[in-house]
Amino acid sequence: MSGDGGQPGESPLGLPAEPPAPEPHEEPPASTAGRDESWTADHDTTTRDATPALGTRGEPASWRRAVPGAKVALARPGWGDAGWSYLFGRDTSYAEAEPDPDAVAAANERMRSQTPVEPVHGPVIHAAVWTWEVPLYFWFGGMASGASFAALAADIAGDEASARVARKVALATVLPAPALLIADLGRPGRFLNMLRIFKPRSPMNLGAWCLVAFSAAGAGAVGADVLGAGRAGRRLGALQATLGSYLGSYTGVLLATTAVPIWARSRVFLGPIFVATATATGAGATRLTLAALGQAEDHPTHVALARMEAGAILAELALSTINERRLGRAGEALAHGTPARLSRIAKTLVSSGLLLPLIARGRARRPAQNVASLLYLAGGLAFRFAWVEAGKASAHDDDAVALMARGSVTADERLRVGTEQRALSEDRPPLADGGPVKVLRAWSAAVGRASLFAESVLKRVRPRSPA
Amino acid sequence: MSATVAAPTELAIHRSGARRMGFFTDTTTCIGCKACEVACKQWNDLPADGSQFKPGGGYDHTGELSASTWRHVRFVELLEPSPALQAEAMGALPAIPPAGELPDLVAMAQGVGNKWVFMSDVCKHCTNAGCLDACPTGALIRTEHETVVLQADVCNGCGYCVPACPFGVVDRDPVDGRAGKCTLCYDRLEDGLEPACAKACPTDSIQFGPYEELVDQAGRRVLELHKRGIEGAYLYGAGDEPEHDLAGGLGAFFLLTEAPERYGLPAEADSPIQENLVAATAAALGAGLLAAAAAAVIFTTARRGRG
Repeated sequence: MSGDGGQPGESPLGLPAEPPAPEPHEEPPASTAGRDESWTADHDTTTRDATPALGTRGEPASWRRAVPGAKVALARPGWGDAGWSYLFGRDTSYAEAEPDPDAVAAANERMRSQTPVEPVHGPVIHAAVWTWEVPLYFWFGGMASGASFAALAADIAGDEASARVARKVALATVLPAPALLIADLGRPGRFLNMLRIFKPRSPMNLGAWCLVAFSAAGAGAVGADVLGAGRAGRRLGALQATLGSYLGSYTGVLLATTAVPIWARSRVFLGPIFVATATATGAGATRLTLAALGQAEDHPTHVALARMEAGAILAELALSTINERRLGRAGEALAHGTPARLSRIAKTLVSSGLLLPLIARGRARRPAQNVASLLYLAGGLAFRFAWVEAGKASAHDDDAVALMARGSVTADERLRVGTEQRALSEDRPPLADGGPVKVLRAWSAAVGRASLFAESVLKRVRPRSPA
Repeated sequence: MSATVAAPTELAIHRSGARRMGFFTDTTTCIGCKACEVACKQWNDLPADGSQFKPGGGYDHTGELSASTWRHVRFVELLEPSPALQAEAMGALPAIPPAGELPDLVAMAQGVGNKWVFMSDVCKHCTNAGCLDACPTGALIRTEHETVVLQADVCNGCGYCVPACPFGVVDRDPVDGRAGKCTLCYDRLEDGLEPACAKACPTDSIQFGPYEELVDQAGRRVLELHKRGIEGAYLYGAGDEPEHDLAGGLGAFFLLTEAPERYGLPAEADSPIQENLVAATAAALGAGLLAAAAAAVIFTTARRGRG
């Protein structure tokens, strides 16, 4: 072998004489800090690229088959491919036992009706994603509906001049509401989609329709007043107040029909509490406006408005107190942290508002009454924020959520709703394909196009940072 | 043509002539590989959420279902230290077995309560779906497979479905602005393919098929496990007496071995709207009309009192 010769510097076995120099490689980092930083940067949700691989965000998918109706490779009719991936056929011992539905039902009940389990491995439910726009919207909408009540009452009592002012207040306070509602949406350009269907089952949908109808009636009433058509203005005002009884209260229904313990377990109290706040703030705004316009302090409307706001605030405080007492474990969310602070602020504000006119004497009476109205307005806003924040805190309270599911969260826990309300889910026949259905379809199509157009005009939706 | 043209029949909760398809997730065969999560993200083109490990999170880096995580394998650590371990923690030195004497590893594995259980969580496709009831735009619909699907091109991101879901499934994406949740791979079903997660599951923990067949199979599996001594096996969301069913019966149901709360599931659930809407609306509307009437009375008496 040694006589084979070969290239100099090469071993007889054909191996290089010298071992190859190791490939230069990067120095290992001195610490892991850099890696952690790049990891965090990669996973920052605010800079995340959510561009879809196909199509354009917010538009119908543009995917199309090369040949219309072509078959998918390996697909079998009736989801036959699912059968291929079954590991556990009838011939394995995976599920050999004889079927016995009663035994299964008994096992389910046994395991699901145990004593409450600690700890709960949450999260169980998601908290609402609503930001400051929503409680502010509740406040404005409530104020508008309260002012519409005042307008109707003034009309009935025969004080048409004040009624006209109150109708203007109702219109002015409802104007910011749609803007706030739209600003809260994840896709503001698609607000109109709320109106593509009429869905009484969804308080949000019914509320959006009610807001539109209330604003339209309010605009009509103020327009009629301006044009001097007093009777039309009064009628539209009455319609507005009727709609207002839902606009001011549906927000409570909206919160009550969720899986959040503190909201769901306040279901018969939330609506009345919200109406009370709405009435107080609406009367307060109307009274302040009338005072600014120079209405005398002993004018009957002025006196009535002061009574209306004080009565509403008393009702609100009474309802809140009863509700908080009976909420039990579900009420924890309103007793700690930010919601508790907001609630305390609200109660302090409105209580001072109640006291102030009582202790003011002589020349201080008029300013005291005005300050009281301002305190009611501020207190109402704090109440709205407290309720929304309490709901978020309550959703994060896994134990309360688990207890509510087991039906033992409130002090006076009622029996679960029986079958009569489940009737909502009974099978319903599909709508006949008649004239009204065609109109509905056309409406739905028109709204869909309009909202897609709005979105294309808006181009890039303002990116929302996680709250 | 455009998917925004939705038929008004979406108002009806259930479609007539629909064949219900569903998921049966058997947690006793889940190995926590998270292949279903990955398959779901790939098929549905979902972005990453940013994984992080939390203390006590059992190495579950996803954490929860979200607008961009439609399958989530929940890792649950059930730690019940054995008496020996507790004694050690009280200050005693770790017990070292004497030479020649090996600990009985099998007994150790079976004896103590330490368990690490996995559960591949997903949208339940409820019969009484809270999100479907809540949706004000009709973006959420019931399909011909009796599943609940969110039409992303209709959703305007109002966020009402988020607190309306009693299982914490649907969420609004902070970047995208719309809600997102499992579609039970509606697009794959249309082509006769099974959903991506069920296709990817290596141990058949996730099974897909016609609902009745799945319920039958799952019921027999529960009894089989009982026969083998796992007394705690039960179904969550199927096979219940009608008065105890969860949200009218879940289209995606589970075989569990621990109390529901261990998996972050409520023991009872129904659509919050169907539970509360009538009572809440009656109280609210009544209060509204009462307030308007009371205002009128106050005004009239104030005027009369003066006159």
